[in-house]
Amino acid sequence: MVALAILEVRNVSRHFGNLAALDGIDLSVDKGEIIGIAGPNGSGKSTLFNVITGIFPPTKGEVFYKGQKIDRLRPDQRAAKGLVRTFQANVLFRDGTVLDNILRASHLQFKANSWQVFFNTPANRREEREVLGKAKEILDFWGFSTVENVMASELPHGDQRRLGLAVAMAINPELLLVDEPVGGMSGGERASVVEHIARLHNEGVTILLVEHHVQTLLALCERLIVLNFGRKIADGVPRQVAADPAVIEAYLGSEEVA
Amino acid sequence: MIFVGVVLALAIVVPFIVPTPILTYLIPALLWAIGCMTWNAIARVGQFSMGQAAFYAIGGYASAMLTAPASFAYGGTVTLIFQWPVFVGVLCGGIAAAIVALIVGTITLRIGGLFFCIITLAFGELLRIVALNQPPIFGGGNGITVNAPAIGNWVLSGKIPFYFVALGAVILTAVVISRIDKSRLGRTFRAIAANQALAAHAGIQLMKYRVIIFTVGGFFCGMAGALFTHYLRVITPTVFGFTESILILLMCAVGGYYSAVAGPILGALVLSPVGDYLTSVLQGGKPFVFGIVVLLVAFYLVNGLVDIPTLVRRAIVKRRKSTVTA
Repeated sequence: MVALAILEVRNVSRHFGNLAALDGIDLSVDKGEIIGIAGPNGSGKSTLFNVITGIFPPTKGEVFYKGQKIDRLRPDQRAAKGLVRTFQANVLFRDGTVLDNILRASHLQFKANSWQVFFNTPANRREEREVLGKAKEILDFWGFSTVENVMASELPHGDQRRLGLAVAMAINPELLLVDEPVGGMSGGERASVVEHIARLHNEGVTILLVEHHVQTLLALCERLIVLNFGRKIADGVPRQVAADPAVIEAYLGSEEVA
Repeated sequence: MIFVGVVLALAIVVPFIVPTPILTYLIPALLWAIGCMTWNAIARVGQFSMGQAAFYAIGGYASAMLTAPASFAYGGTVTLIFQWPVFVGVLCGGIAAAIVALIVGTITLRIGGLFFCIITLAFGELLRIVALNQPPIFGGGNGITVNAPAIGNWVLSGKIPFYFVALGAVILTAVVISRIDKSRLGRTFRAIAANQALAAHAGIQLMKYRVIIFTVGGFFCGMAGALFTHYLRVITPTVFGFTESILILLMCAVGGYYSAVAGPILGALVLSPVGDYLTSVLQGGKPFVFGIVVLLVAFYLVNGLVDIPTLVRRAIVKRRKSTVTA
């Protein structure tokens, strides 16, 4: 029996006016995989993430998640199914503390309805305690326990990027799309992020990773996909993909041009 | 807690120590404070309603139509006479406004933002025109005259009893709004206000929560509008118009956006009496003076009047530091 793909992107195109940001992309992700997506700037990596997570619909083609067509669902409906993403920029709840950020992102963990919340019923109080406990575990996992009351906007850049990942973790992902997690980080911070993503993967989260930093991709990924001009130009074992002439050309330009 | 206690005690004592004419200014201020709290709660989810006064009108008309006395007929133009007790009418006014808010919210909050602003503005005007042009139902330009509230045979026609009715409504609204603010609902609202995209990706149904707070706001505005109507003893199409919607917005700006309850109440308590006084002494001067007040607040008190204690404390600390270093 063939394992059911957790995510399937079928012949997806996304046009902005005359520009084809994505052009007939096919992609299948099996449960438990950790896949890297690389490509030069403007190759369509972020557009692919935006289509998968519902920021905008594909112009053509279909997206399936756990066998269900999802390309017309809202982002919150996709998140409720366990499809979670992080953002390229430091997208956080900037007016809240580190703990606030985790608690706000834990929205889906709560089952009590608005009336139970308003009247603060015992069931609601129990749930609040449980979610607070889980939030503290997440803070612990990322080493944020000592700064839980610090405003998110006051953290250094590297910590803000890591908090973005912690926030995504609080949403309880089954498939996590990570957009450039180590952008602008120092070597030590990068190593820590790589380690934490690997641990998340070991806990059973399927991961799709967009990254420019090649060492990070090679360290983490079992499979590497390369996009260029909205098309998939390579898909396979990272070492082989990195040696692929088409990939080298996409990054460095062809000899004639150079 | 102590602060709230002191304010409440003061609020209870006030009508017995100030001259009655002062209450003429305080009662409307209290009733506007309700609208301000709801406007602020909606704004804190990132949506700017330009038509909160329209819900006052809906509450007012609903209560007026349900409670209008049999003697009221305006030559037979108003044909629906129910004669329900006033407090039942007030509750129904709140419910009617909440239902309308639910419908309007469901249609407009899907898109939100500027679209929501404009639709709420247009909605208020629409209501005014409907009320003006349907005399058999709304009494036309003359509106509907109503009774003062009564409990059994005890008619609350005096200023002091009515002050307490208004105060009760303010307290009820404040309790509900601050309870929402402190609960997980408030956390969800703050998440939406802080970063809509991230909130959606965290599974928060933006539309659902915007509609919830808009509907709650509609209920309390409707209730306040109904009380206002029974205070004025009449409702006409011009009582709760665009100017009043803007007034609510200005009160929140002056009082302070960043607090759920204190800012809006303070803003209403300051601006409403000033406005009423100005109307009585210099016609047409009110918008001018309000404009200056809002400019002053925008320049010197960005966080509104509620921020004054913080600013004073900061100034004292600064002064102490400078004397120490000197």
